[in-house]
Amino acid sequence: MATEIEMTPVPKTPSKPRTKAKSKSKSMPSRAISHRRALLVFLLPFSVLFTLFYIVPIGYAIYQSLLTVEREGTFGPAVQVFGGLTQYISVFQNEAFWASIGRVLMFGAVQVPVMLGVALILALLLDSPLVRGTKFFRLAFFAPYAVPSVIAAIMWGFLYSPNLSPFTAITENFDFLSPTTVLWSIANVVTWVYVGYNMLIIYSALLSIPQEIYEAARIDGANQFRIAWSIKIPLVVPALVLTGIFSIIGTLQLLAEPQVFQSFSSAVTSTFTPNLTIYTTASIPNMSLAAAMSVVLALATFALSFTVLKLTQRRTTQ
Amino acid sequence: MTTTGSARPAGIARRSSKNRPARNGGIRESAVSRTVAMSVMVVATLYFLTPMWWLFVASTKTRSDFTTTAPLWFADFALFDNIAALISYRDGVFLRWLANSALYAGLGALLATLFAAMAGYAIAKYTFRGRETLFNVVLGGVLVPATALALPLFLLFSQAGATNTIWAVLLPSLVSPFGVYLSRIYAAASVPDEIIEAARIDGAGEVRTFFTVATRLMAPALVTIFLFQFVAIWNNFFLPLIMLRDERLFPVTLGLYVWNTQVSQIPDIRALVIIGSLLSVIPLIVTFLALQRFWQSGLANGGLK
Amino acid sequence: MAISRVARVGAIAAISALALTACATGDTDAPAASGECAPSDGAVNLTFTSWLPGVEEAVAIWNEENPDVQVEVQTGPNGNGGTYQNFFNQLAAGNAPDLGQIEFDAMPNFRVQDGLENIAACEGILAAEDQFVPWTWSQVTFGEEEAVYAIPQDTGPMAMFYRTDLFEEAGIAIPTTWEEYEAAAVQIRELGGYINNFSQSDINAFAGLVWQAEGQWFSNGADGWTVDLTGAESTQVAEYWQGMIDNDLVAVYPPWTDEWNAAYNSSELWTWVSAVWGANTIASGAPDTAGNWGVAPMPQWEAGASAAGNWGGSTTAVLKGSAHPYEAAQFALWLNTDADALTAMNRTANIYPATIEGANLPVFAEGVEFYGNQKIYEVFAEAGNNVNPNFTWGPTMTQVYNDVADGFSGAVSGNGTLLDALTAGQDKTLAALKAASIPVKE
Repeated sequence: MATEIEMTPVPKTPSKPRTKAKSKSKSMPSRAISHRRALLVFLLPFSVLFTLFYIVPIGYAIYQSLLTVEREGTFGPAVQVFGGLTQYISVFQNEAFWASIGRVLMFGAVQVPVMLGVALILALLLDSPLVRGTKFFRLAFFAPYAVPSVIAAIMWGFLYSPNLSPFTAITENFDFLSPTTVLWSIANVVTWVYVGYNMLIIYSALLSIPQEIYEAARIDGANQFRIAWSIKIPLVVPALVLTGIFSIIGTLQLLAEPQVFQSFSSAVTSTFTPNLTIYTTASIPNMSLAAAMSVVLALATFALSFTVLKLTQRRTTQ
Repeated sequence: MTTTGSARPAGIARRSSKNRPARNGGIRESAVSRTVAMSVMVVATLYFLTPMWWLFVASTKTRSDFTTTAPLWFADFALFDNIAALISYRDGVFLRWLANSALYAGLGALLATLFAAMAGYAIAKYTFRGRETLFNVVLGGVLVPATALALPLFLLFSQAGATNTIWAVLLPSLVSPFGVYLSRIYAAASVPDEIIEAARIDGAGEVRTFFTVATRLMAPALVTIFLFQFVAIWNNFFLPLIMLRDERLFPVTLGLYVWNTQVSQIPDIRALVIIGSLLSVIPLIVTFLALQRFWQSGLANGGLK
Repeated sequence: MAISRVARVGAIAAISALALTACATGDTDAPAASGECAPSDGAVNLTFTSWLPGVEEAVAIWNEENPDVQVEVQTGPNGNGGTYQNFFNQLAAGNAPDLGQIEFDAMPNFRVQDGLENIAACEGILAAEDQFVPWTWSQVTFGEEEAVYAIPQDTGPMAMFYRTDLFEEAGIAIPTTWEEYEAAAVQIRELGGYINNFSQSDINAFAGLVWQAEGQWFSNGADGWTVDLTGAESTQVAEYWQGMIDNDLVAVYPPWTDEWNAAYNSSELWTWVSAVWGANTIASGAPDTAGNWGVAPMPQWEAGASAAGNWGGSTTAVLKGSAHPYEAAQFALWLNTDADALTAMNRTANIYPATIEGANLPVFAEGVEFYGNQKIYEVFAEAGNNVNPNFTWGPTMTQVYNDVADGFSGAVSGNGTLLDALTAGQDKTLAALKAASIPVKE
C-alpha cells in the first residue's frame, strides 16, 4: 500500500546547510540519523500510550484468564490460583457463548455488506456533481453517530413501540421486537448509526483523488456512473477494506445496541452477543472466565479479519 | 512533474462545490440522473433525520404530553422550560458536565489525532524493520473487547493513584488505533513521495516536512479522524464509569446514564435525560459544522511554500 | 533500531504487566485489624459511595454536627448499572470507599467476595438490632453470631395498588386472595382492560412474590449453599402466573418503558402489585389518573392470612479495607436511624426506612392526594411487619436474575413456561456457583 522510501544517504549540497545535521558517527549517514530521530518522534507518543493502555491491560487479562478461584467453607475468602486452561475449557463448553457468536456472524454477514454498500453509494453521490447541498447532506448522514446510546434506548424503544410509535401503522401489525425479528431491528439501528460514519471515511478518500485522473475520463466522454465504477471505486478500495475490517470487528464486539434494546425488548437475552455474554459473566463476578471469553473472542475476531484481509488482497492483486 | 511541490497542472480549479461543473469538464449530467441522485439523497435524509426530529420534538414536550400527543409534532412548546429545569437541577451540574466533556473530547481528540497521524504517516512513508509487525500489533489491540480491559486499566491507574481524576479519562482517550489505520491509508494516498523528496532537497527536516506539508495534504483525513475521536470520547461513558466517582468530573453521557438509572426513584428525571441528550448532541453538530470546510481537497493544492 | 523499538515496547509491556499483577494484591491504606473496632485519632475523612438521589442532604446534616468526621459522598449509577462492578474493581485495587450502598440481594455476593467489614465489635452496633425490622437484620448478619456486615437503610414492603374508580364502576370487589385476583382478572379482561402487567425482567419482584408464599430460593449452612428455585412455593407462584399469561389475563409490556407508563395512564392496567416506592412511579408515570388510586394489602394464598413480600431495599455497608471502621459504622448507624436523615432521604429519594420507628415519621402520617387522600403508608407499615424474616438471597443474584429473566422472556412470547425458566435458571446457577468455587451442598 505504501511506497517505499529508501533510507539511502544523499550527498549534501554545500550551499544548503541541513537543518538537523548532527552525525553520531562518521560511518552513519546523517540523513539516516535524522530519519531515525524523526521516526522516534513520530512513533513514540502513540506507541507508549498504546502499550500502557492496550498492551499492558491485555497482558493482564490474559494472565487473569489463566487463574481460577479456590475457597474454603460457605463464606471462606477466595484465593486465586493458577488454573491453566480450566477457564478456556469452560468457555468451549459454554453453549450460550457459541450461540451468541453464531448470532453475530449471521448478523454481520448481512448487515456489514448492506451498510458499506449504502455508505459507498452515498459517498459517491456526494462526491459527484449530481447532488447539490452537499454540506447539508453530510451533516444529516453524520448526525445519528452523534447520538449517545442512553438516548438511543429511549428513542428506538419509542419508534419500535406498537402503541407509541409515530409509525403505528407498521409497528402495530409487525412485531419488531420479537425473538425472530429483534436481531434485524438491532441491525437497522446499527446501520442507522454507522452509515454516515463509514460514508465520511470513504468520502474523505474520494476527496484525495487527484483531479487529473478525471481528465482522461472527461476526454473520453464518460458519464458519472462510468467514472464512479471504473475510477473512483477502485481507488477507494483500501478505505473500503478498512471500513469492512473495522465493521467486522465492531460486529463481533456488539454490546451497546443490544444493551439498549434489553431495556425495552424481552427478546434480547443476557447472552445475546458474545460481548454481552462477557459483560454478564464479569458481573457475576467471574473475572477469570470473562477474561478467557474475551481472549477467545479476540482470537475469533482476528481469524475472521485476517481471512477477509487475505481474500481482499488476493482480489486486488489479481 | 515539477520539484517545487504542486503535482497538479496549474489551471485545474479547486474542488469546491462552487466549481463543481468544471470537474467533469462541462459535461452536463442528464436531468434524469440528477433527479434520481437527489431522490436517493432525500430518502436517505428522511431515514437518518426522522429519529433526530423525534428527539427534538420530544424535548419540547412536558412530561404529561410526552406519551399522549402525536410523536412527530409539537404539543405545548415547553423547550425553554425544560432547558431551564435541566440547567438548574442539582446546582447546574449539567453545565459542568458539558464543560468536562468539552475538555476530555476536545483536548483528547486533538492529541489523539496528532499522535495517530504521526504514527500512520511514519508507517506509510518510511520503511523500517518491524513496520508491519507494529501495524499488526496496533490492529491486535482493537480485537480485545473493552470490557476485558476495565479491571486492568483500573488497577493501572490505582497504582498511579490517578483514579477519579481527569487523567484517568483523558490519557486512555489519546490512543486511537483506528486513527493510525486511517492516517496510514490517507498518507499513502494523498502525500506523494515526490513532495517529501522535494522538501528534503530543500533542506527541511522530516518532522518539519510532516507538519508543514503532509498535514495540509492529509487535512480531510485528519479532520475525519479528529471528528470521530471527538464523538467517540464525547459519547464514551464506559471508561468514565469505571474511573470516576466524583460527580463533578463526569462527562455528559455518564451523567445522563446515571440519571437514567434513577428513574425508578425519581421518575421525572426521564424528561431531563431527554432534554439533556438533545443538548449534548448540539456541540457535536457544531463541531461538525465548524470542520466542514476542511472537507475540500482544494487545500491540498497550492504547493509547499 | 526499529526492532529495538518493537522490543522496547514489548519490554515495557512485560514489565508493566508483571508490576500490575504483583501490585494488584497490595493494599494502600492499612486496614484495621478485624475483631477490633477502636476510634481513630484526630480528624477523619470518610468516602461514601451511594446512588441514592439527594443523599448529600442527609450527609450534610452529619457533617455539620460532626466536624471531626467528615463524610464525602461519591455517586454513580445504581448497583447493577455499574457501581457493584466498580466496588469489586476497587476492592481488588485496595482503594474502595469506606462506605458503600449495597442492596439486600447483593449482600451475600459481597460477603462471599470478602468485600465487607464485620462491624459487630464497634460500639452500639450489635445493640442496634432492636431498632430494625427483623428480616433486614437477619439479612445483614447472615445469621452469624457476633457479626454485622451492614446497616439496613430502606425496605420495599409490597402491597397492591389498584384503581378505586374502575373497580367501583365495574362492581368488582377488591381481591383479597390470589384466587379472587384471578377471577377479577377474567372480569376485567371482558371489559377490555388488564388487571396487571407481568414483568419478565423484574425477577426480584417475582422473588418477592415467592417470599410472600414463604418460599426459599437459597439457604446456606456450614457445608455449602442450597439452591432451590423450583421448590413447592416457587412452583405454585410460577404456575399461577403462567396460567394468567396463557389465558391472556395479564399484559406483558416490558416494564419501566414509556409504553408501560402509557398503559397505566390510559387505564388499560388496573392494578400493580408492587413495593412502597411504586407510589411515586405511578404518580409520575400516569398523571392523568390522579386521585383514582388506592392501596390494599397483597392478595393472599390463604384466605384471612396477611403475609407480604418485599421488593428492593438497600443497606449501608463498611467495605473491606476501610481505615476507619469505627467512624464509618457510627455514621452508617446514624444515617439510617436518625429521624432528620431518614426524612431527608425520603424527600429526595422516596425511600421507606428499615427501622421500626421509621414507619412513624411525620411524612408517612398523612393522606396522599394521588391516592384519593388515603393514608397509604399504613398499609405498607402493616405489610412490613408481615414479611417473612427468614428469606435468604444467594451469592450470585445478578446471575440468577439474568438467567431467569432470559427464560421468562421466552415464556411471555410463548416459548416454554415460567417454571421451565426457573428450572433452567437453577441449573445455570449451580454451574455459576461451581465455576466460582462456591461450595454447593449436594
